[in-house]
Amino acid sequence: MTQRYLFVFAQVHEEFRIPELLSIAELNGIEITFPCPLGELDLARPFMVLGLENDEAARLLARRCILIKSICEFYARGRTYAEVHEENRKNASKWEQYIENTTFKFDVSAYNHSIPQRRQRDIVESFSYMALLGKIEMKDPQVTFVCLEEYIDKHGTTRHKHEGDGKCREIFFGRLIEEGSARSLVKKFDVKKRSYYGNTSMEAEISLLMANQTLASPGKLIYDPFIGTGSMAYTTAHFGAWVFGSDIDGRQMRGKDPPYGVRAGAKRLGRKKPLSVPASRPVQPRPDDQPYVPPTKPYELSALATDLVVLARYMLKPGGRLVFFLPTVTEEYEEVDIHTMLCEGMEVVANSLQNFGSWGRRLITIKKTTTSRFPAPVFEPQGGSEENNAENGHVPAHKDFRTKYFQGFKKDVT
Amino acid sequence: MVRLITHNLLACHAKGCTSNNFPLQFKDVAIEIREAEFNPDFLRGFLARLEWGALVDAARQLGDTSLPPEVPDMLDDDFLKSLHHVLLEIHVEEGAMICPNCQHVYAISNGIPNMLLAEHEIG
Ligand SMILES: C[S@@+](CC[C@H](N)C(=O)[O-])C[C@H]1O[C@@H](n2cnc3c(N)ncnc32)[C@H](O)[C@@H]1O
Ligand SMILES: [Zn+2]
Repeated sequence: MTQRYLFVFAQVHEEFRIPELLSIAELNGIEITFPCPLGELDLARPFMVLGLENDEAARLLARRCILIKSICEFYARGRTYAEVHEENRKNASKWEQYIENTTFKFDVSAYNHSIPQRRQRDIVESFSYMALLGKIEMKDPQVTFVCLEEYIDKHGTTRHKHEGDGKCREIFFGRLIEEGSARSLVKKFDVKKRSYYGNTSMEAEISLLMANQTLASPGKLIYDPFIGTGSMAYTTAHFGAWVFGSDIDGRQMRGKDPPYGVRAGAKRLGRKKPLSVPASRPVQPRPDDQPYVPPTKPYELSALATDLVVLARYMLKPGGRLVFFLPTVTEEYEEVDIHTMLCEGMEVVANSLQNFGSWGRRLITIKKTTTSRFPAPVFEPQGGSEENNAENGHVPAHKDFRTKYFQGFKKDVT
Repeated sequence: MVRLITHNLLACHAKGCTSNNFPLQFKDVAIEIREAEFNPDFLRGFLARLEWGALVDAARQLGDTSLPPEVPDMLDDDFLKSLHHVLLEIHVEEGAMICPNCQHVYAISNGIPNMLLAEHEIG
């Protein structure tokens, strides 16, 4: 039988919450019951009441999801305290066991608001009908009752600290099961604290979210084909996976000067303009004993994405995942863009936008749904995606992303 | 890091080199043994993905003869321990891997193989 739990999410990366939750649930074999179809969930709200088998499931989720602040056993919700108390009384069987011999405290707080101390005390008082007999203990109580008020986001308007106090959208009440402990990893992996990093490292939070999408855990092998200075290697290895990687530019992973910035696009071997005379002789090792670094040319984004999916289908085990960030032009993006890169046996399971305004990047998670074996793909030097694009006639908006980025996303540049 | 698990995934990709381009042969190697955590589930899961003959052969080139020529029917602990050692604990730090077909030399330095091709070698 499932029980209801109150999920409190961190106020960042809204579109990443449900995909992360589903990933960690899949990793642990946990089933989550949602109150409505996933597409209808209101992601702007930080609280969600979801069904889980038991407290243990809640603990596992709270220990691994970066975006979970806490999970409580759900007792009541309502637009007014009268409604909350009415439901809470009905659910007395859930909290009766804490009436005697249990130390406790109340945590009263609000989202998008700060409740004055006086009213906080009044709120706690209003629960006195629960007639809790145990000692109040602010430090390490046996149970913590949590009361949360949700206010509408006033979008940057300045107002007095306690203005509109009490005019909340909804109130939630429950008992704390587990504080989200994975969020502290964000600090731990903060790139500034790492002794060894280059300028292509990803922010810690994002790379942890990405690691969770890969289902990194002991007994998994993860390949980062564009490993750079290895922030993904760090986070996925932290969760117990084996990691290996490759990079077209060995200087970064060998700890030499990172040669270029975050905006550098993907490269492929070759020259932008072919030499008029083919270089047919092997190049002699240079006298300074530096390894030969071949010339590279830009790798057009939609071709790269298509190639990546085909390569992943070859390398992954059935059920395995390909996870990557795809930069997109906000105004031009359409959902079908993602489908232009798919091939038989590879399906999108998550697509979350991190919005930077005129552009953004999408964390795409693709699952290998086939058990068939496929031959190693062969990539044409010009980019293998052409037939694919032509086949369904759709040109994705991320095509030539870099060019668009540097043109400032002006529409009619010829 | 060139562990044998990585080596088992690498083939020569020089222009026109499409057959007999696997497994790459080790040459002049310096190896190091580093202990890794034993995970039998991982090994069982990964077994299907391995080119067994290539692995046995590579291990022999590095002086380890603990693996049987065929995957045994019974995956007992002794076998899994040998497999674990061969796949994950032997690190090739220096040396080269050579394509059995076109003789292309992929150098290994500081444990990192250089798989990049020069201009005249790309397909
Ligand atoms: C944004 S960084 C990667 C960040 C890295 N995944 C991490 O977790 O820190 C992009 C890297 O891709 C590499 N790269 C670009 N084109 C490549 C290609 N065709 N094959 C392999 N690596 C490539 C670049 O040299 C650069 O180090
Ligand atoms: Zn070859």
